[in-house]
Amino acid sequence: MYSADFDYHRARSLADAQRLLAAHPGAKLLAGGHSLIPLMKLRLAAPSAVIDIGRIPELRGISRSGDSIRIGALTTHAELAASADLQKSAAALAEAAGLVGDPAVRSRGTIGGNVAHADPASDLPTVLVALDARITAVGPKGERTISADDFFTGIMTTALADDEVVTAIAVPASVRGQGSAYVKFAHPASRYAVIGAAALVSIANNRCSGARVALGGLLPHASRVRSVEKALTGKPLDAAAIEAAAALAQADLGSNVAGDIYASAEYRTAMAPVYVKRAVAAAAARAGLA
Amino acid sequence: MDITATYSFAAPPSEVWNLLMDPDAIAACLPGCCELRPLPALSGVEGGDDRYQAELIIGVAAVSGTFTATIALSDKVPPHSYRLQVDATGKPGFAHGSATIVLSAEQNGTLAHVTAAANVGGLIARVGQRLLEGVARMTMDRFYGCLAKRVAGAGS
Repeated sequence: MYSADFDYHRARSLADAQRLLAAHPGAKLLAGGHSLIPLMKLRLAAPSAVIDIGRIPELRGISRSGDSIRIGALTTHAELAASADLQKSAAALAEAAGLVGDPAVRSRGTIGGNVAHADPASDLPTVLVALDARITAVGPKGERTISADDFFTGIMTTALADDEVVTAIAVPASVRGQGSAYVKFAHPASRYAVIGAAALVSIANNRCSGARVALGGLLPHASRVRSVEKALTGKPLDAAAIEAAAALAQADLGSNVAGDIYASAEYRTAMAPVYVKRAVAAAAARAGLA
Repeated sequence: MDITATYSFAAPPSEVWNLLMDPDAIAACLPGCCELRPLPALSGVEGGDDRYQAELIIGVAAVSGTFTATIALSDKVPPHSYRLQVDATGKPGFAHGSATIVLSAEQNGTLAHVTAAANVGGLIARVGQRLLEGVARMTMDRFYGCLAKRVAGAGS
């Protein structure tokens, strides 16, 4: 289906994008276009105007600065997956980006568009919450940085204001003794996460000295499973300890799990500990190798 | 699609009941709503049902549509239980929802137990299937959460 009529504006710089946003209330920002355009073609979204920010050079690229890795908002999933910096120091993010959709989506879809769209079944938000990423946005009142924990607030709903543009995402670079991983149960047709689990663990003296574990796909937005994190901390990360901690994920999920005709809420809740266990075990293995 | 939820109100059941029956409060708390236009009660029903018509915007963020909805309150057993029926139709499809709400007194107020069943069809159901349950739950949470806030606001 063709989309409803809309005006098209191309922003040449970040300042230009902000000016266009202010001038066109109700406009949507277009980055890679692999979430917004399908919605528009289905006429589930019908913005009066689209502001294309896809060719702003300052929003591109991955760079290491001190103990964190800065990722420009227009960096594509394919670029994330191929980044040697990310593979080494934020392995879960490179891993998740390589599992998003199909090659076409990964070549066009961007990390900034992904977080701003905030699809509950998306992969990157789950990883960004687990890695304690920080999202930088610019609006009329200037720049601000929001932790991934606070950024995702509901189904396709974020802490971003209508007049703000995501400019970059920063993830802490893992250090010796730290490892991260992402595993997912992908829907066989759409590749969206039925369940996605991300884990970051730190190991010192053969015991877990800290853990961040997040689940996505089955919740309105990616969220940490704090009972699991607490249960892992202080334990040697053997199979039995990981399994016992992962089982606590169900308690953290509560009644917030949503099902659909493909996978009921009960089924997803029952499967969650399995994927948490796999993610923590993979992260622990990487921490041991680092 | 069946959804159950429990919401707590900081007021006794009689007060919560009045709020749940108040068209102005319903209109203020229904996401994307405006004003409720009363419809004539169905004939043959003693006392009649409370029936209203309203324009609703249902959805999330950029993915939302305008629906014309009929909202009916029936099977009223004050201040204990009632049935809420919402039938919405619009360009993106239709949604029929029916909920039974049971109020129970607890120490510091009232608990409302909601058992809802919804049937969604048309374009929105074909392409938005995986989001339907989440959005339905969110819409319900917003509605009763907003009503609970009004109770808290009135009490302070």
